[in-house]
Amino acid sequence: MADDAGRLYGKPEVRIDGAAKVTGQARYASDEPVANPAYAYLVTSAISRGHITGMDLAAAEAVPGLLDILTHETVGKEAKPPVGPDQKPTTTTLETTQVWHDGQIIAVVVADSFEAAREAAHRVVVHYAPETPSATFDSPGAEAEVRKTDEQHKDPAKGDAPAAFAAAPVKIDARYETPTQHHNPLELFTTTCVWDGPKLTIYEPTQTMYGLKAAVAKQLGMEPADVRTISRYVGGAFGSKGAATSRTVWIAIAARRLKRAVKLVPTRDQAFTIATYRAETRHHLQLAANRDGKLQALIHEGWEVTSRPSSYNVSGTETTARMYACPNIATKVNVVHADRNTPGFMRAPPDTPYMFALESGMDELAHELGMDPIELRRINDTQTDPVDGKPFSSRSLMKCFDAAAAKFGWAKRDPKPGAMRDGDWLVGYGCATSCYPSNIGPAAARLSLTPRGKAVIQLAGHEIGTGAYTTVAITVAGGLGLKVTDIQVFMGDSNLPPVPVAGGSNNAASTAHVAAKACEEIRQKLALAAVQNNAGIFAGADPSKLRLTDGALAGPDGRREPLETAVGRVAGGALEVHVENVPEGLPPDAAAGLYQGKMAMSRGTGRKDVTAYAFGAQFVEVRIHALTREIRTPRIVSAFASGTIVNPLTAYSQYMGGAIWGVSSALHEATEIDLREARYVNDNLADYLVPVNADIDHLDVIFVPEEDSRVNPLGIKGIGEIGIVGMNAAVANAVFHATGKRIRKLPIRIEHLL
Amino acid sequence: MELTLNINGRDHRLSLDPRTTLLDALRDHLGLTGSKKGCDQGQCGACTVHVDGRRILACLTLAAAVQGRPVATVEGLAHGDKLHPMQAAFVEHDAFQCGYCTPGQLMSAVACVHEGHAHDRAAIREHMSGNLCRCGAYPKIVDAIEDAAPKMERG
Repeated sequence: MADDAGRLYGKPEVRIDGAAKVTGQARYASDEPVANPAYAYLVTSAISRGHITGMDLAAAEAVPGLLDILTHETVGKEAKPPVGPDQKPTTTTLETTQVWHDGQIIAVVVADSFEAAREAAHRVVVHYAPETPSATFDSPGAEAEVRKTDEQHKDPAKGDAPAAFAAAPVKIDARYETPTQHHNPLELFTTTCVWDGPKLTIYEPTQTMYGLKAAVAKQLGMEPADVRTISRYVGGAFGSKGAATSRTVWIAIAARRLKRAVKLVPTRDQAFTIATYRAETRHHLQLAANRDGKLQALIHEGWEVTSRPSSYNVSGTETTARMYACPNIATKVNVVHADRNTPGFMRAPPDTPYMFALESGMDELAHELGMDPIELRRINDTQTDPVDGKPFSSRSLMKCFDAAAAKFGWAKRDPKPGAMRDGDWLVGYGCATSCYPSNIGPAAARLSLTPRGKAVIQLAGHEIGTGAYTTVAITVAGGLGLKVTDIQVFMGDSNLPPVPVAGGSNNAASTAHVAAKACEEIRQKLALAAVQNNAGIFAGADPSKLRLTDGALAGPDGRREPLETAVGRVAGGALEVHVENVPEGLPPDAAAGLYQGKMAMSRGTGRKDVTAYAFGAQFVEVRIHALTREIRTPRIVSAFASGTIVNPLTAYSQYMGGAIWGVSSALHEATEIDLREARYVNDNLADYLVPVNADIDHLDVIFVPEEDSRVNPLGIKGIGEIGIVGMNAAVANAVFHATGKRIRKLPIRIEHLL
Repeated sequence: MELTLNINGRDHRLSLDPRTTLLDALRDHLGLTGSKKGCDQGQCGACTVHVDGRRILACLTLAAAVQGRPVATVEGLAHGDKLHPMQAAFVEHDAFQCGYCTPGQLMSAVACVHEGHAHDRAAIREHMSGNLCRCGAYPKIVDAIEDAAPKMERG
């Protein structure tokens, strides 16, 4: 009967929150009305390393409307230090006089108006004892360490990779680099705090309602029950809102001191330093194969930048080691500490940078072998995880390559680099594998059904653009035999039952399974009551055979009892259930942990039974002007197999958005760092390049059908991240095909092709 | 300073700091939070509104500068429950994900049609390039505008 929850899957459904979003009625955190707010403005450090020796506040305090200035001296001891995205120590803000990085929050100015707060903040004079900062890799003073392995991070290995590499007849040995990138969601990192006696309400865009609640409670020494987080709509996240940041507690403390709501809308440039980012990475990749193309050795070593106190890292070798059949594998990851803010999750955190290296390397190897790059992947395709021998729950990689290649017209490709030309334009075709592990977490939900056939489901879910409200509504409509328009979905409030962080592409799977379970509980209750009622039409029937369909409880013989009767029998107003779902393989206390903001996740690479990934193939045509070297991408074709697709309309948007993120990553995005000052230079949306509408032309997404009964009961793999993963290499491979130049450092720009 | 703003056909009397931008006046003083703050420096387009029927960036416009001039925001596009053809097309084509840039995209899209720039995809792409969409909904935004343009002309 759980299958009924998937009855409406695969049919395009417009978003149930679509009208709210196009009329301006959707309330993002800073849109929430609060009574008589004061306005906060952040003062951030102008040095990247050192100490604050004093502040002159007189000029700021003289600004009319100024209410309060929070500094290390006034409030520094009122909050415990924060933790980073990995729940381990990270950089601090007002707790001490220490400056860890440029743009660190060092004071919070609060005033009656935004204009007064901004003026006063600019009148704060800060005295520093500066030290020479280290900006990034190779900077004097940057400290490298080998990343330790733990539960989360392993170094996949097997066989004797160095010996196999040395002995193999065909090999490549190359180094790749990816840049610092910032998520730049269009919504800023806002926070509004309101106290009601001992209870705190936080309006803040977040991908982790319960995680934020728990983090703030811990820092302020409060009971989590006294902290409520509200985030009904999130204006883009991409990982940047996946963990608590330092700002929140200071706004809460400011509101407590003033006994008044305090609202913070930070600036765009502050977004670069008060939240996280994708750290720059380096890779040393060695691939060796026999002349028939069969891989013999894969050695992948990565380096990632982080802050001084944090060892946050993404370790994408977990993925690159698993992509292709290979008997000898060695991997290693290093972290390099510099005077920077702590990095964090950004769309496909491990896979985007690490797969750039592997998929560029595979293209280089294909060229070395004189082999078509798709055929090289076919020869090394596998249905078994090469690291630990477990079967993939499903793997439709080559179906994706074949579907995308046909649509793209790969057969027209002349394999010789520089051979294809259209007038002044050099034409290149490139492709790469995309993938993302399939994760699912525990979740809870409350579901009610009225005799009139209206259902309400409540869960502390996150609508970050994925169409999360609609995914849940489609599941409940299927499960209860109703129309999608009969379902109301409430999310974005930590007073509702918890679900995991909306990250790691687990959201659809986690929320759909708990919604399906809630529907099944309602069905069971109605069925049991129906068969036990002597006067009813189902008296004495087998309750397991009764289904909810088309607004009725229906028997296998076609007899139907309207919901009015079936629900009315057990409830006058509404029948309500509260359910928790713990996916197979997770400990039973995973649900309890969820309420405390702890994240237990069944990960695609950590399971006992299978290795679970979604796969895809991404193709791009680049055109490079023969004289100016302007780079255009007139055509992008991606094919993905991600198991069950809940809503093809919004799934298409996610895949498409991922592919556009990929083009952006390959050709546009990089946060430039002043090497002397360890400071982000292009910290605004004009200088941090992202594609505009005119940059994106023909873009196709192909859904490759895939049924996967092993990944989870509903067969749902995530789709939010896979769209970006293959694009970096696909673009770089196409640039090589167009020009014969192998660019191993992103982003690829005109100056690299002169 | 005291001033009167005409928003979506209604006059509003306000007492504002003269430095208040039109965007902050709408959001913080009138409760019209449809227009969004994405950069506050004229780079993203999320705050796009119409003044005198032309698209402008509300974050780069002082409220005092638009006294006596008609301002239209995303809240004024629909007629009651009936969506404007551009709003309906955005929903139908799924021309957004997170929805944060959408009010600005819609105001630019309506203006794009009125300006006569919606005649082909290339022109739409060019004239919609002042509005960033970080979710990457661009091809669907173009689909929605192509769909809505003739309906707007008929309407």
